[in-house]
Amino acid sequence: MEEIVRAENLKKTFTLSKKQRKIEKTTIGRKTAVDGLSFSAYRGEIYGLLGPNGAGKTTTLRLLSTLIRPDAGDASVCGRSVTKEAYKVRDKIGFMTSELKLEGFFTPDYLFGFFGRLHGMDESLIRRRKEDLFARFGIDKFAEVKVQDLSTGMKQKVSLVVAIVHDPDVVIFDEPTNGLDVLTAKVVTDFLCELKAMGKSVILSTHIFSLVEKLCDRVGIIIDGKMAKDGTLDEVWAGKTLEDRFFEIYHTVTGETI
Amino acid sequence: MKLLALMKKEFVRFFSDPKLLINMLLPGILIYIIYSLMGNLIWQDAKEYKFVVAQTNAPEQIVAMTTAAVSGNGWSIEFQSGVQDAKERVEKGELTAYVVFPEVFEEKIGEYDAESGTPAPQVELYYRSADEESMSFFTLFTAVLDGYEHGKSNKFDVNAGGEKYDFSEETNVFATTMGRMLPFIVVALVFSSCMGVTLESVAGEKERGTLATVLVTSVRRSHVALGKVVPLSCVAAIGALSSFLGVVLSLPKLAGMAVGDLVASYGFTSYLLLFLLIMSVIPLIVAAIAALSTYAKSVKEASAYTSIVMIVAMVLSIAAAVVQSIGSWTVVVPILNAVVAMQGVLTLNISVWQSLVSVGLNLVYAVLLVLLIAKMLSSERIMFGK
Ligand SMILES: Nc1ncnc2c1ncn2[C@@H]1O[C@H](COP(=O)(O)OP(=O)(O)OP(=O)(O)O)[C@@H](O)[C@H]1O
Ligand SMILES: [Mg+2]
Repeated sequence: MEEIVRAENLKKTFTLSKKQRKIEKTTIGRKTAVDGLSFSAYRGEIYGLLGPNGAGKTTTLRLLSTLIRPDAGDASVCGRSVTKEAYKVRDKIGFMTSELKLEGFFTPDYLFGFFGRLHGMDESLIRRRKEDLFARFGIDKFAEVKVQDLSTGMKQKVSLVVAIVHDPDVVIFDEPTNGLDVLTAKVVTDFLCELKAMGKSVILSTHIFSLVEKLCDRVGIIIDGKMAKDGTLDEVWAGKTLEDRFFEIYHTVTGETI
Repeated sequence: MKLLALMKKEFVRFFSDPKLLINMLLPGILIYIIYSLMGNLIWQDAKEYKFVVAQTNAPEQIVAMTTAAVSGNGWSIEFQSGVQDAKERVEKGELTAYVVFPEVFEEKIGEYDAESGTPAPQVELYYRSADEESMSFFTLFTAVLDGYEHGKSNKFDVNAGGEKYDFSEETNVFATTMGRMLPFIVVALVFSSCMGVTLESVAGEKERGTLATVLVTSVRRSHVALGKVVPLSCVAAIGALSSFLGVVLSLPKLAGMAVGDLVASYGFTSYLLLFLLIMSVIPLIVAAIAALSTYAKSVKEASAYTSIVMIVAMVLSIAAAVVQSIGSWTVVVPILNAVVAMQGVLTLNISVWQSLVSVGLNLVYAVLLVLLIAKMLSSERIMFGK
């Protein structure tokens, strides 16, 4: 088993704005979102970060994607350090969320080429990759239609495919099905299975148990920025339902019962 | 290559959307229509004047100068000599006016010595002040005589020098008003066209999260910043030029002059400097709005910040228009330096040095702002703050 992502003692503290302090009803100006987090993900597997709201999932994924820098600790993606070789890491990863982040004015064809060029790919490589991916995900018929005129499911597909234009080894996916209707959510889960079939490694975050049960090989339960439990599904599961196990763990960590 | 892809995208976005393109060109067209209409309203009555003037002993040169001045206003004139009962016919309104010069007028004023105390040669001008047409001729003709007399006493060459002097005097009055007003109008126009493209493209992309998708690729932050500021400046330049052309083409109508006359009164250097000044202000304003847009969390917030900057810029350029002589320290103040330099060019007090320093400094400020944007793009608090 080849280790492809390794997080070591990641720590990230935010300074809270006045507005945020009001919302969180606190007078403390700082919040440690990720608190000494360590875990490993392996090639060809889907790793799920499972945790409640505010547990630090998004922050962890942003740290791995080099969008933000850890205060302490480090992580490596394909052997590259996120703190020391950020640009190299960015070429190895695709980062996506369930929110559509494509400019509606352009066509899938144009956007695919645009992001390919941003990753420094040459035109013939972009063309070959486009033919392959567009055919595989059924976008080829809509390649010249503006994104804003596509159906929601097709938009979602385009947004996913564009994020892997550069053939990244690792796909980092924050809340893959959050806020999606059932049909679009299926587009996304199918896409994730396809990625796995293509031999990619995926790290996703979610608070949905069924998604983890259905897709993930490994799971890490994250509570208050700390890794409460991680391992293969079978290890974490320990013969119970994932849901029951989660609340057991939640209770041991926080002392709260729900 | 990556920078090129970023820039190209902005151009593609703009040039393949007719709506955006029309939005850019519209202000110029509107300005032209509105100003021309205003000009037509103001000069409507005057446009019809056809002077019929009786004359006795009028020197060729004065006749020529008068004819030129009249046609410069788009009017026409006919001089008649040897008219019977000319004074009565003026009174009856059959003639616009009647001018009487002493015999050999030119020789007489040539010999005349103002120090001698003897009466100066007399010119008689009969007209009716109640009649608008007659009054207009009176005003115009006395202005011509003034110029003529001025030319004589200053011992200018009678043919060329006198005539030319007169005209530049006329332009000067107009040039001063225009020079004080126009920079203000130009800054307002440039600002609004920069605002139109930049807010949407930068703050819009940040708000919708499409900017973040670019940041997860291995593109340099400075390229992202440049990839916005350069193409947006080009696009804004189209809008600004359209507005500017609208102003330049319609102002002569507003002033009741021919476009050719007005254009000719400023030299090539003036036009070049004006062009450079406007062009230097565009990237500066675009970069400033882009910086505010990068900082802001939403388009709404960005436009609020931008409005504040716009108001400051407007107040500065109005102040520059009102304050008579502004110190040369203004050359270091962005935008204001261009306003002051443009005023200099338009009021025919060109300072090439001041203009070029302003252009250079504004470009330097723009580059600094691009660096600032790049810094902000890598700031976690600004890009991912809550
Ligand atoms: N940029 C930021 N500035 C300040 N505080 C932040 C910032 N980002 C996250 N936080 C805080 O850090 C904590 C963890 O946030 P994070 O978004 O990582 O949680 P999450 O597990 O993704 O939650 P959710 O399920 O709501 O998406 C929260 O309390 C949040 O308010
Ligand atoms: Mg989150």
